[in-house]
Amino acid sequence: MNKKSRTEPYISTYLHSKGRKLGLPIAGNFELTARCNFNCPMCYVHMTEEQVRAAGKELTAEQWISIAREARDRGMIFVLLTGGEPLVRRDFFEIYRGMKEMGLLISINSNGSMIRGEILEKFLADPPFRFNISLYGGCNETYENMCGQPAYTRVKENIRALRKAGVEVSLNLSITPYNYQDLAQIYADAVELDVNVRASSYMYPSIRVNGEQYGCGNRLSPEDAAKYGVAWDQLRFTGEEFAVRAQNMKNLIGDEEPECPVESEEGVRCRAGSSAFWMTWDGQMRPCGMMPGPTAYPLEVGFEAAWETIKAETAKIRLPNQCTSCAKRDVCPVCAAVCVTETGAFDQVPTYVCRQTEQTICATWEAYQNRRGADSKQAEQTICTTWKAYQDGRGVEQRMEEESSEHAAEKEGN
Amino acid sequence: MKIKKQLIKREIAGDTILVPVGKTVYDSNGLFVLNELAAFIWDILPEVSDEVQIVERILADYEVTREVASADTAQFLRKLREMGIID
Repeated sequence: MNKKSRTEPYISTYLHSKGRKLGLPIAGNFELTARCNFNCPMCYVHMTEEQVRAAGKELTAEQWISIAREARDRGMIFVLLTGGEPLVRRDFFEIYRGMKEMGLLISINSNGSMIRGEILEKFLADPPFRFNISLYGGCNETYENMCGQPAYTRVKENIRALRKAGVEVSLNLSITPYNYQDLAQIYADAVELDVNVRASSYMYPSIRVNGEQYGCGNRLSPEDAAKYGVAWDQLRFTGEEFAVRAQNMKNLIGDEEPECPVESEEGVRCRAGSSAFWMTWDGQMRPCGMMPGPTAYPLEVGFEAAWETIKAETAKIRLPNQCTSCAKRDVCPVCAAVCVTETGAFDQVPTYVCRQTEQTICATWEAYQNRRGADSKQAEQTICTTWKAYQDGRGVEQRMEEESSEHAAEKEGN
Repeated sequence: MKIKKQLIKREIAGDTILVPVGKTVYDSNGLFVLNELAAFIWDILPEVSDEVQIVERILADYEVTREVASADTAQFLRKLREMGIID
């Protein structure tokens, strides 16, 4: 697993920067469906077939392609096809190929369970830029508990087939009450498959499927989210790298490449609503898929007008003063989507995240000190062992010398 | 000159970019950005048979010396050959 490689090409950073200045939609996230063949309790979007029918109507392949074409004409180049599980759509390849023919660079979010047989062959003949595959556990039992299907072996086989063919794969890992015990195995799998992992122990409240239950979700307590987030860091970093991270956390210096790139110091800090947009499965445009709004309707007003609305409404969003002026801001995952899903408002402090961040800083430092303690003990042990071996060696040498002298005396005596 | 790889040219925010399509995705690490002259050469590649013709077309459209046009053309074509985009 190449831990140090950038997961985002520099050209993407450059184009987003230009897009932000010029107001262009450089990236589009297309949530093709809310349906999924898995049933994970922490999912922010998954609905059953019946719920989908009751809540609205999925867009047709023609509608998706039409929106993508309008977005492409305004500057879109990066596309993420996501869900639910996008591959449950029977017309997935119609949408995929239609968008590729437009000159779009496509990544796909998937649980990986369906990428085999005919579907795999189609992807090998015409691969996406990258698959982002969610790995939910390190054994079939965990998958069954969390996703409702014992699909671990199958998913791993599918990822191996993609990697063998040279298809780019990145893993997404959600650390939850259902899979935290599998972290070591998941890390071992990532190393074996030679893939990067983007892990998060922070789970957004699922307000899109659970109504206005702000701050609620099937997730770890903030303290446990911190604990297992740090446990993952200890797996993925070398001792030296972890020491740097611990020092940075102590000094409140953030990641070089955070999960959502920071583009602005006030309001919405990432690219949402300034150079990127999200389309929900039922045709609503939003800045980000986690947010319940602002919303615009490109199928009714056209892409251009919808994008202008999203940009204007996003520019009005302000985070709580306590967050923007907080000393821990750069090591905290707080964002507009976090605030609104935790509290129901963009300008309210998400205390769950405050607690997780504070605990992450403490737990990282504690783990670093423990490692240093263990390293010191190991160093002391090494010195003792070396000295003992030296002494033993000296003893042997002395005995050899004595034996040699005795042997010489015997010879002389003879 | 025949372009062997599947690449789609896009104009985005004032930049000319080649997007890999089909199996070309395997050989690339994302996007190719072309400067103005490279974009010009890219457009005329299917219409020309050799380097000399490219240089003549550049001289007809740009106020540049033959030496500069030849050097720039050779550099760009070398890059395309290295990436297996042309023979």
